[in-house]
Parts: sequence; structure tokens; C-alpha cells
Amino acid sequence: MAETVREAVIIGGNRIPFARAHGAYAKASNQDMLTSALNGLVARYGLQGQQLGAVSGGAVLKHSKNFNLVRESVLGTPLDPKTPAYDVQMACATGTEAIGSLANKIKLGQIDSGIGGGVDSISDAPIVVTDELRGILMEANRAKTLGARLKALAQIRPGHLAPQAPGTGEPRTGLSMGEHMAITAHQWGITREEQDELAAASHRNLSATYEQGFFDDLVTPFKGISKDNNMRGDSTVEKLAKLSPVFGKDLGEEATMTAANSTPLTDGASAVLLGSEEWADAHDLPKLANFVDYEQGAVDFVDGAEGLLMAPTYAAARMLTRNNLSFEDFEYFEIHEAFASTVLAQMKAWESAEFCRDKLGLDAPLGSIDRSKLNVTGSSLATGHPFAATGGRIVATLAKLLHGKPGKLGFISVCAAGGQGITAIIEGR
Amino acid sequence: MTEPRRIPLPELGSLYRKAALDAAKSKLSTTGSLKALPQRPVLAEHPGITEEQAEAYRQLVHGEVFDGVHRASLPSVLVHIAGFPVQMALMSQREFPLPLLGMVHLSNHVHHHHPVTAGQPLQILARAENLAPHRRGTQVDIVLEISAAGQLLYSSTSVYLGRGSYLFDKPDAAAPREDFTPPVKTALWTLGAEAGRDYAAVSGDYNPIHLTGLTAKALGQKRAIVHGMYSAARMLEGREPEGAGHQWSIQFAAPVALPGKVAFAAEQVEEKVTRFTGWNPRRAKPHFTGELILP
Repeated sequence: MAETVREAVIIGGNRIPFARAHGAYAKASNQDMLTSALNGLVARYGLQGQQLGAVSGGAVLKHSKNFNLVRESVLGTPLDPKTPAYDVQMACATGTEAIGSLANKIKLGQIDSGIGGGVDSISDAPIVVTDELRGILMEANRAKTLGARLKALAQIRPGHLAPQAPGTGEPRTGLSMGEHMAITAHQWGITREEQDELAAASHRNLSATYEQGFFDDLVTPFKGISKDNNMRGDSTVEKLAKLSPVFGKDLGEEATMTAANSTPLTDGASAVLLGSEEWADAHDLPKLANFVDYEQGAVDFVDGAEGLLMAPTYAAARMLTRNNLSFEDFEYFEIHEAFASTVLAQMKAWESAEFCRDKLGLDAPLGSIDRSKLNVTGSSLATGHPFAATGGRIVATLAKLLHGKPGKLGFISVCAAGGQGITAIIEGR
Repeated sequence: MTEPRRIPLPELGSLYRKAALDAAKSKLSTTGSLKALPQRPVLAEHPGITEEQAEAYRQLVHGEVFDGVHRASLPSVLVHIAGFPVQMALMSQREFPLPLLGMVHLSNHVHHHHPVTAGQPLQILARAENLAPHRRGTQVDIVLEISAAGQLLYSSTSVYLGRGSYLFDKPDAAAPREDFTPPVKTALWTLGAEAGRDYAAVSGDYNPIHLTGLTAKALGQKRAIVHGMYSAARMLEGREPEGAGHQWSIQFAAPVALPGKVAFAAEQVEEKVTRFTGWNPRRAKPHFTGELILP
């Protein structure tokens, strides 16, 4: 094995605008959206007919017929059909994991190029039959005689026929992600005002960034929309203050989480092109940033020992220690806004000497994050959050922000269901 | 101790039919209430909990797989289910002083001494003790002792209330209820209208109070209520040690009406002690409290 690994370079990204669920993309499937995001990337970087090392991605809500979602999407693009593709799934960290693992393959010299990304559709979510009905149908399927088959089918009761839509509840606690976050936010004393401020800033930043034309080479229109349609550029703290809480309502007066400081359910897709330096140079492609490192984390949330969405705090501590870095070394911070309170709770935890010592095992707190460096182009509260597509949005955006700033670092934090999360470091060039 | 009366393993359906008949009869004659408990325990041989039952139970509580390698020890509540018909037979004897139907489960204390596995033949002994006054009637302890080949594996004391059956002088007004402040919830149980029927299908306990709104109304509940032991099952799932030796208890405050939601908290209060609370998330009223002590 080589003692040093080579750089994995982020060349560029593409996504379709994110759309609120049951709206503009109501009739688009995951495969439709991912194929479109890939097509945009192929067109932008002239990848037609090229055989890439791998395409990796996934969707959190996936139909069983989409067992090979990414491969099927690739076959629908002008990429060389000899390009291998595979699905990954790590809840909301799916896209980041897909990109991170591709970067590792590039660093190790296993592949020279790859596309990582993800897609999700709430509008075309897989509706399934009840466990009871599936059991009966499978029993009928296994039956060898008509009589046995009819006997099996005769067990079907009206109650078995209700369709089952996927929920956002954690299987082991029955609590929705918002309810989990409400508990964590309350424990950390996150106020309504600071959540609303973060939400308003997210919309303001995203809107300003669109106006600057920053997303012109990151977003390709789809189904008649060209901007994330959840964005409210005129959003103000005063307007947001009028909304009633939707999560943690059993906290009464102390409930703080509203529809505006929580991400809406969204449809969308994203993709990021990575390659080795040699591959990028050989194809005359830009080199925006290096994908330096990433770290997965998971916490024991089931009985409330840790908050569901706090895993990135642990991943960050390990990742920064390993790279001998502190928050002062970073130019930009991209902390996925699953909820405004998620970002605020993570930041409070990193500021807490007690938490950093007792939970993260650090001698000193990681410290505070300069708000002027946080989610400067807006984040999920404004763009929306099609679960698996968020990683690709963040990596491409941050890489472009760091382009032309050689050596400057960007920090990424993405929380995920199941008490998991990912943090990552990218470096401008 | 009095020699137990040996009985064949009872069938719960017929016991409930008899209970309903007895209830109807007692409407006709209000006299003749017995004030003493039957002295003789009852004893029955159980052929063993089947793998199918264990699988049905696991699906009910969404538990981890019984693969016979990493998980073979059956959950306490499933062992209780095996013993329940014997307890019912004891309580439906003519000499039992409290009417079976409408009996309210107040609490359960369990010591699960050793593992019980599928297919293991069991001896189930049930006896009644401590008939005592309660402000809403008369309470009684039902003790279950479950053994295999002479070794005691499981013992439990279930306290039941015969509501409105005053076999003693009515005690003075109860101590005022303590204020209930819910702990931080760690889970939310969403129970459908079918939760009682589903537990009945697994446990065989088709007490009509758990089945439908109509049958529950007949027994004085506004809506069907979930079995108390269902809450115990959910509370304990995934927490019982494979080698057993643990103790647990549950005290029921107010029944869970169906359909409904139960906010739940599991708090580790000491290294080997977990405290549980279940409550109504809308009204912040407790449904139950419980405790698990690991060996």
C-alpha cells in the first residue's frame, strides 16, 4: 500500500431545484429526478459517452422496484453504460456517505472518477400493504392448490387493506424526528427567537445567493421550476413569530418548533462529480476543492441518553482531533438545518465545556462557530430537504464557495435518522 | 400449606363465559358473599410455550428475533400469559369471593428467577392471598409460581381489585393523589383500536373489556382499554436479560383507552435499575409506573 493517498477533487455539482412535496414534482419518480440531475451534470462537464469509475447514491424512501435505483438512472443518461453504479442508504446522510466513500476510492486509486448524490420524493413515496395483508398474500403465493390459495385469501379483512405510507417516526421510539428534536431543543434551552432568526437568515441567504447568480452552474431547471420553491426571500423574524408550534406541543408554553423553523417535506435530487487530479486535468475539468476527510457518528438515543440528531457532535470531535484542526481553522460551516434547533443544539454542545469533556472526551470545548461563516448561502430550512439529496447540495455549494481560496477549509455536519450523522472537511483550491 | 388442587390446563374462553354467567346470576342474588379466600392453590401442567406463540408475541411488541442462539429466554410477560389461565381458573372457582368480570388489575411484581424457553413443559401453580379492603372495593393478591422439573423459574404477585365489592368496612378516604409531573419522554406508543384484540389473539385473554367499545361499555368502560400486561410487555421489550434473574414491577394508575397514545419514559436511575412511566400525553395523567431491576 502507498503510504500517502492522492487527493480526491470535487469538480462540480448539479441539482434540480428542490420542490415542496405534492407540488411541482408530484408526478416525478425518484428515478426521473436522479436521472435529470445526472443529465445536467453530464451536460455541464461533457461526460457524454464516458465510462466513470462509479456512480453512487441513494434514496431514503425507495420503492422495492427501485432496487437498483442508481444503476437504472445511469442507464438513462448519456454516460457509458459500462459505468458501474450502486445504491447506498444512511437516512439523511445518504448523499454525504455516497460522496465520501467515492472520495475514499479515488484517494486509494481504486477509481479515477465518480459521481455521488441522492434523491428523494415524498410525493411518490412507496405505499405498501399492511404486514397482515402481505403475510396472507405470500401465504396464497406459496399455496400449491387453488383451494389452499382461496383459503389463504379468505383471511383478508377490510382492516388489512388500509395502505401504509412511510412515516418519519423512529421505529424504536415511535416518536417523529420533530418530537425527538423538540426534546433535545428543550434540554439545551434553545429559544423560539434564535430558531426563527436562523430560519429567516436561511431564506434571506438563499434568496440573495440566487440573485447573485451563484447557483447558475449548480442548479438545472426541472418540470418548469428553476429555484427552490420553498424559499421565502421576504421571510422575517416577525412573520415567523406568528406561527404556532407543531412539535413538542406537550411542552405547552415552552414549545418552540414551528413549520417555519423545521424543514418541510421536499422532493429533489443532486449529484456531485469527483475525480483524481490527473483525471480532472486530463479532461480539462475544474478543480473546486479537495474532499479531505469525513466521519460517521452514532448515538444511543433510544432511551434518551443522547438526542436523536446529536451524532454529528461526536463525529466532529473525532474528525477534528484526527486532522489536528479546530473550528478556527474553517472558513465556512455547513450545518444541515433539519430543524433550526438541530443546528443550534449542535453549536451549543460544541461550546459546552461540560459536554465536550464528558461526552466528547475533549480537554477543552470545541468552541463557538462564527455566525457569519454559517450556512452563508442558505440551508435546508430555505431550500427544503429531500433527504438523500441534501448531501450533494451541501458538498457542491461548499466546494464552489471555497474555489479560488486554496487551503481554506469548509466544515459539513449532517444529522440522520437512527441517531446517526456525518461530518466532513473539504479544502478550497 | 394445603395440597394444591390439580386441574387440567384451563381454556380461557370457557372461563369468561362462566364469569359472564356468574355475573348475571349475582345480579339475581346479592346475598351469600364469601369473605374468605379459597385455601387450596390450583396446579396445572402446561405443555410449554410454542415457538409459534413466541413469534406471535414478538411481532406484537416488535421485538428482536427468537433465534434460539442469541435469544431463547422468553419474555416475562409471555410466561405470565402461559400462567394466566390457571390464575383465571383459581379466580373463577365458586368459593372465590370476588366476581371475575370487571376485576381491575392494580399491580404486578415479578421475579423471573431462571430462563423459560419454548417447548419447556411447565408446572403452573396459582393461589390467592391477602384479601384486603380497598377504598373502591376489595383487593386480593394472586400469586403465580411457574416451575419446570421442580425448579422455580418465575413467580409473580398480581394485585386485583374487585371494584364495588366491599367485603370489609369501607376504608377512610384515600390519601390525596400526588401531583404528577411527566418525565422527559423517550418514546410514544400509538395504539390502534385493534391493540386489545391483537394482544388477545396472542395471549388468549379475550376479556371483553379489551375487545370493542361496545363490550367494554357493558363492563363500565367508555371505550375498550388495552390489557395492562400489554403495557408491561412494551415496557420490558428488549430489556430483559437472557439469563433471567431479574425482577420487575408495574403499578397501573388509569387504563389506556383505545385507540390512544401513551407517552413513555425509561430512566436509568441506578446502574441496574430502570424506572418506567407511561402517561397520557395530552392530559399529563399517569397510566402506569414500573421498575426493572437487573440481577
